[in-house]
Amino acid sequence: MNQPLAGCAPAPVTARMENHGSHMVKVALQTGNDLFARVGSMVAYEGFIQYEPNPPAVRQIARDWMTGEGAPLMKCSGDGLLYLADYGADVVVIDLGGDGISVNATNLLAFDAHLQWGVERVKGLAKFAGQGLWNTTISGHGWVALTSRGTPIVVDCGSGEDETYVDPDALVAWSPGLKVKGRRSFKAQSLIGRGSGEAFQLAFSGQGIVVVQPSEDSADRLRFRG
Amino acid sequence: MTREFQRGHKARISDLTRGTDLYVGVQIAGPGLTFDISCFGLDADERLSDDRYFVFYNQPKSPEEAIQLLGPQAGDTESFRVTLDRIPPHIRKLTFTATIDGAGQMAQIGPGHLRIAAGGQEVARYSFTGSEFTTERAVMLGDIYYKDGWRFAAVGQGFDGGLEALLKNFGGEVLEDEDSGSRSDGVPGFAPPAEDDAPPPFAVPSGPSTPAAPPAPAAAAGPAPATPAPTGAAPAGSSQSAAPQETPPAPPSPASRAAPGPAPAATPAPAAPAPPVYAAPTVAAPMPPAGDTATPPPPSPAPAPAAYDPQAHAQPSFGGPPHAPAPAPSAPPPPGYGQPPAPQAPTPPPGYGQPTPPPGHGQQPPFGQVPGAPRTAVPQGLPQGDTQGVPDSPPQGAGVTAALQKYKETPTGQRWTLQNGTLVRVDLGTDGLPVLAKQGSMVLYQGKVDFSYKGAGVMGRIVGNVTGQEMQLMRCTGQGQVFLAEDATHLHPVELQGDAICVSADNVLAFDESLHYEVRRIEGHGIPGGALFTLQFQGTGTVVVKTHGTPVVLPVTPTTFVDSNAVVAWSAAAQVIVSSQVHTRRNAYPGHTGEGVNLQFRAAPGNFVVVQPYEV
Repeated sequence: MNQPLAGCAPAPVTARMENHGSHMVKVALQTGNDLFARVGSMVAYEGFIQYEPNPPAVRQIARDWMTGEGAPLMKCSGDGLLYLADYGADVVVIDLGGDGISVNATNLLAFDAHLQWGVERVKGLAKFAGQGLWNTTISGHGWVALTSRGTPIVVDCGSGEDETYVDPDALVAWSPGLKVKGRRSFKAQSLIGRGSGEAFQLAFSGQGIVVVQPSEDSADRLRFRG
Repeated sequence: MTREFQRGHKARISDLTRGTDLYVGVQIAGPGLTFDISCFGLDADERLSDDRYFVFYNQPKSPEEAIQLLGPQAGDTESFRVTLDRIPPHIRKLTFTATIDGAGQMAQIGPGHLRIAAGGQEVARYSFTGSEFTTERAVMLGDIYYKDGWRFAAVGQGFDGGLEALLKNFGGEVLEDEDSGSRSDGVPGFAPPAEDDAPPPFAVPSGPSTPAAPPAPAAAAGPAPATPAPTGAAPAGSSQSAAPQETPPAPPSPASRAAPGPAPAATPAPAAPAPPVYAAPTVAAPMPPAGDTATPPPPSPAPAPAAYDPQAHAQPSFGGPPHAPAPAPSAPPPPGYGQPPAPQAPTPPPGYGQPTPPPGHGQQPPFGQVPGAPRTAVPQGLPQGDTQGVPDSPPQGAGVTAALQKYKETPTGQRWTLQNGTLVRVDLGTDGLPVLAKQGSMVLYQGKVDFSYKGAGVMGRIVGNVTGQEMQLMRCTGQGQVFLAEDATHLHPVELQGDAICVSADNVLAFDESLHYEVRRIEGHGIPGGALFTLQFQGTGTVVVKTHGTPVVLPVTPTTFVDSNAVVAWSAAAQVIVSSQVHTRRNAYPGHTGEGVNLQFRAAPGNFVVVQPYEV
């Protein structure tokens, strides 16, 4: 039966988080090892899993995320397999192993609840962008899943004085060690970014990496679903 | 990320993949046709100076195994494994050819392709169809050649004369009518390892006359497969067995006629007389023959299949042991290929699928991961790092960098580099020429790059005024790297070398300012905005074309129609005619009142149209 689909059966679990195809992540949940995931990102689950949207712990940390509407996170706990996706965006799974990473809020899909994390506004940018750019800094030993519209690219910032400039709409994640500052294109004529006019980029300097998606679509689809 | 090649396109292999262990698959088929697919290893003068580098079904690998014939798999009619860094310095070019065995013309072939995969991913594909050919009987599909590094070129050049003409073209010696003794002079290259003792077992059934000659190829094939890795063994083994199979029926002379000879001659072989008889014994006792063949020292699996006569094994395994005797000669397992699959080599599955092991065994790969297949077949020497079977599993090893390894920026070197299917990097440093890019397409840049509004000049005025929607460009100047992308659309850098291409204005992402471009306007009823604007680029430089989804490249024929909303680009020599009498659209989408507009193209053969699966 359905031979073409037969190849899509889930592979046996070998890690806490794994890609199933490039657009879906499979998380193996166990009791006591909870997961925070974006509300609305669950597409399927097997086993006994409970969801608690907007748990108090999250509200504490992310109290002013997105103009105080509460953090769009849910806590998933239980035993089973959880499948997450975000409207067909590519999913990148990272085993932090002690490292840290700063993730643009709309590109965060899920992360282990025991990781250290915090939410902040991207410095230097808030005053230029209308709604501001929120990012979550996550570190510790555990797993994180990010989304990216299209296959992302990882660029090494090098180490010298050179700055790497990124279109904020295309930014996915970066090493927390990098220095970030907003940069406005001063030429009246230069209209980078959206053609709408506000021309700004984020300048990263220092040692680390920047992850960029090949799309300037920064709309938060999960958020629109309501 | 697969890069589509057109006839004449060339690219550095290092730009396609960092791997040097390549899988080259050729798919070619036509009703009632059989193909021999071979690889010629040529020297710097493009001569076949060393026969041992003519890799075909009778000689499934080059001496140092840099080029190996793997047999049909994963949908490919024939496949090769090419390990670039093991190719000896005197071989500078590998030409992949397909020749029709028996009667037929290339015009009869259906759509086919030559593709290159590395690390389990298809990186390049050159597609062709019979309409590109006429009466040719052989075709050079593609070259992997060395010029400051290994490169790939899609050739697609036909030859009227078939395999022999090809061989002559490459300066190979086609030995005419020499008898079995020929091995010494004619076939020296091929037969070196040939052990006469090996062949006999095979030859026996076939008939007395051929003993000397057939052995040569057979033996040549024999020792070779010995080493290939486990899975590889299957095809190797079967190819080996293939050799004997042809040899028996084949008249001795062709066999002895050096490599080329047997090729054409042998194919009709399948109907071999002996096999049925032979079949029985083989099934009953596969091992003994293996023992006899002693020459191949290899691991047991290899000899085992070898022991099977192709027909013999084809039918028993397929029909299942029970039916063994029944469909002897007609047994052609893969019906698509007609009988000759045998000479083409492998039929690995059958060999494998022999009674005991899980029948699916040999076949698994074709299923999900096409590209994965080569991998499984070619286990050893994984120069490319993450070649393990599990495609989707994240790179093991903790840490952000480890996890993101596969998304790393590809190394610099060229002015335009495709980073993945959706992101292109332009290196402004190399020659300081400015690049024009669609506004807002920059996602990241490094270095001192200045972006300025590009007064679009005439183009801007025309496009802007008429459609009310200006095509806004920015000029990137300075030193540094700029990454361009838009909406995760697929990007295709098109390198122009004096030729010209028309691209729909909506599908241009960026281009070298050195290119000469002009606006062309195609008017027609029903086109939104009253006209379709295209940019015609000409000169030397690169245009980056973006498409939603994987585009299709159609050859222009008298009956090529394209939806004006989905058209992306076409070769500038093609003339466009607007035809709006077709009402498909209205019917297809109720409620849509506009009239469907189709573009028809008129052009000499060789022109093409690119269409995306998305109607803007």
